[in-house]
Amino acid sequence: METLAFQGLVGLSLAMYLWLLAAGLTIVFGVLGILNFAHGSLFMLGAYFAFTFYGLWGINFWLAILLSLLTVGIVGYLMERLFLRHIYHLDHAFQLLLTFSFILIFDDVAKMVWGGVAKIPAMPSFFEGTFSVFGRLFPIYNIFIIGSGLLVALVLWLLFEKTWWGKIVRASASDREMASAIGVNIPTLFTGVFVLGAMLAALGGALGTPVRVVAPGIGAAMIIQAFIITVIGGLGNLKGAFVGAVIVGVLSAYGILLFPVFELFLIFVIMAIVLMVKPQGLFGG
Amino acid sequence: MERLKTKRYWPQPISPEPYFTPLKGSIGEELCGRNLQARFCEGALNNQERRLCEMSTRQKLVGFFCLIFFFLTIIVSAPAFAQPAAKPLGVEVIKIGGMGIMSGPFLICGRVIMQGAQLAIEEINAAGGILGSKLELKFMDDELKPAVGVKNTRYLVTDWGAHFIIGVDSSGVAMAIGEIMPELDRIYISTHASTHRLTEELVYEKGIKHIFRTTTPTYQEGILPAIIFSDRTKFPGLTRWAGINCDYEYGYVSWSLFQHTLKKLRPEVEFVASTYAPFWTMDFTPHISAVMAKKPDGIFTTPWAGEGVQLARQALIMGVFDDPTLKVYWHPTGVTTDFLEAVTTEVKADKFKGKLWISGRYVHNWLDIPENKSFVKRFVERWGLYPFHPGQGAYDAIYFIKAALEKTRSLETAKVIKALEGMEMMTPGGLKYIRPEDHQAVYTAPAGRPVIDPAYPIAVMGHFHVIPAKDYFRHPPFEPIKIIK
Repeated sequence: METLAFQGLVGLSLAMYLWLLAAGLTIVFGVLGILNFAHGSLFMLGAYFAFTFYGLWGINFWLAILLSLLTVGIVGYLMERLFLRHIYHLDHAFQLLLTFSFILIFDDVAKMVWGGVAKIPAMPSFFEGTFSVFGRLFPIYNIFIIGSGLLVALVLWLLFEKTWWGKIVRASASDREMASAIGVNIPTLFTGVFVLGAMLAALGGALGTPVRVVAPGIGAAMIIQAFIITVIGGLGNLKGAFVGAVIVGVLSAYGILLFPVFELFLIFVIMAIVLMVKPQGLFGG
Repeated sequence: MERLKTKRYWPQPISPEPYFTPLKGSIGEELCGRNLQARFCEGALNNQERRLCEMSTRQKLVGFFCLIFFFLTIIVSAPAFAQPAAKPLGVEVIKIGGMGIMSGPFLICGRVIMQGAQLAIEEINAAGGILGSKLELKFMDDELKPAVGVKNTRYLVTDWGAHFIIGVDSSGVAMAIGEIMPELDRIYISTHASTHRLTEELVYEKGIKHIFRTTTPTYQEGILPAIIFSDRTKFPGLTRWAGINCDYEYGYVSWSLFQHTLKKLRPEVEFVASTYAPFWTMDFTPHISAVMAKKPDGIFTTPWAGEGVQLARQALIMGVFDDPTLKVYWHPTGVTTDFLEAVTTEVKADKFKGKLWISGRYVHNWLDIPENKSFVKRFVERWGLYPFHPGQGAYDAIYFIKAALEKTRSLETAKVIKALEGMEMMTPGGLKYIRPEDHQAVYTAPAGRPVIDPAYPIAVMGHFHVIPAKDYFRHPPFEPIKIIK
């Protein structure tokens, strides 16, 4: 019993990484209508910048995370302003091509700038140590990740439900033309939303640097899972993305413990079941 | 008439005067002018002479310069057509096709194969090549996928003209390309991919003689630790083992070999937990937690390069090395430079509490022989990092090819195979002997634990635990082992 509870906790910390990635993806799709395949590459860039600031330049860990968020935010801004803005009205196939091309470009740029070999910085000293939970040792770092994920969920909820800006974003998402007609500056709004999505992806990458290597292509490894979660939760639905991430994370962890042979395709089985029962996703409308 | 009697080569233009002189401005002048050329050339002996005579001066000048240009072109391009002095091997360039993983957390392993091979090629070319023929390397990314490896091999041999194929990190890819080598009639030398089934099954059992290997097989992963950790005096209470393994050929066979061997040497051991992680696993915490739930004394791991780094780092933060029950954490490819670099800070602070055991098919700081010392120096100067086994294996592969070609003086595959079988060579990794039965290079590589040595900027292997190759290598006839998944 304790083993199961502990494994569930491990799954929850795994879920929080996925949530951070899926949140940005679902927001961008819900508001902009763009399925951003390069979202994983923004995750990778967040990890690389955090590694550079903290691991190579020795900047304070928290400041390094903030700086990497801002840097990737700038990258996201340029991506949206210079490229994506021109294809909103076009077929999804063009979005796919453009965002996929960004994956290839970012991967090669990462290889050119940082060299391609997997790197990991030293572990920050304040993350060392474990708490005893359910009779086992649970890392302080994982508790931090769970906390961060929950905090981000709270902040996003407050942002979209309680603030004026969030209201405008939700209005634009539901009816772009009407929002534009009542005076919302749609292009600027969209840029802002895309930057927010990029920064969420970067946060996921940056937070992972103490325990995960940075290497070209790590975004691609995560993006499939992020897509599955957004599909499970309902494209464009933040609550769905959170629940979907928790389901996928926790069930993956249980799969590894109880059904190691089948763990690999468990996530796809879940997606298939959800799509058969409720094709628009658990919270999709 | 007198013109008909003489043989001329150039028709003489006939002066129009004997005929008539057209009056200036008259139509006669115009008419005569048109026919003048023809009239001039009436004495031509044949059509060819007539045509030549009837050409205007401008035409003749253009024709003259075209001829000059044509001959100049022949003269200038003549060297290209010159037959080269015949090389004993019949080719100017010996082409080596290489493959490895060139992306993701494993990139360092593929790249180092290319670096090791390139270093050997540069050295050999600087010394005049092999019997006068230079070497050339073309390296491709196999993405750790068997299908891509096969496609690349076909391209390298059929389209690019590779005479030899070397490399490959993934055991799965090696097994796939090994099968097609007889069809392509080329030799493939593995310099990293380590499944013992490549040599035991494909070469020994199936008779695919085209496959060789210059680095140690999974005996290094599975049998060496079984021998080391079966020692009840040194490792009392080390009886419960768990495995966190790669979810492909390499992970399955290493874990199976280990279980099979250890059970024979120390029957009281139990294997209490086992998980498999596919390529691109970023988070091993569920695997570590699932395994630690069973309270093992030892953990056997196979994830390598960047994944090995992640697994060790995540195991550290989960308190695996602080757990008093755990005595040994085995990482058989822990000598990869990226791993040693990543754990340097932790090794300095003794975070692993002496429980982290590593090994590798070549350890740069182990053998104190001139071949090794000089190789390491040249490698570091050329590429800026310390060499480890896939690179050193590729370096050896090129030199084995050189030795074989110098012996056979022929590129014929069957002859080169015969020359390589039974070949013994002193390499930076020690004396390597290519066993004729399964084409596996037999040599010793140690196990140990990471230490800090002031002579090196990053951690290195120390506390060497050396078992001679003959004691941990399997020997023919090979008793098949059930691959437990």
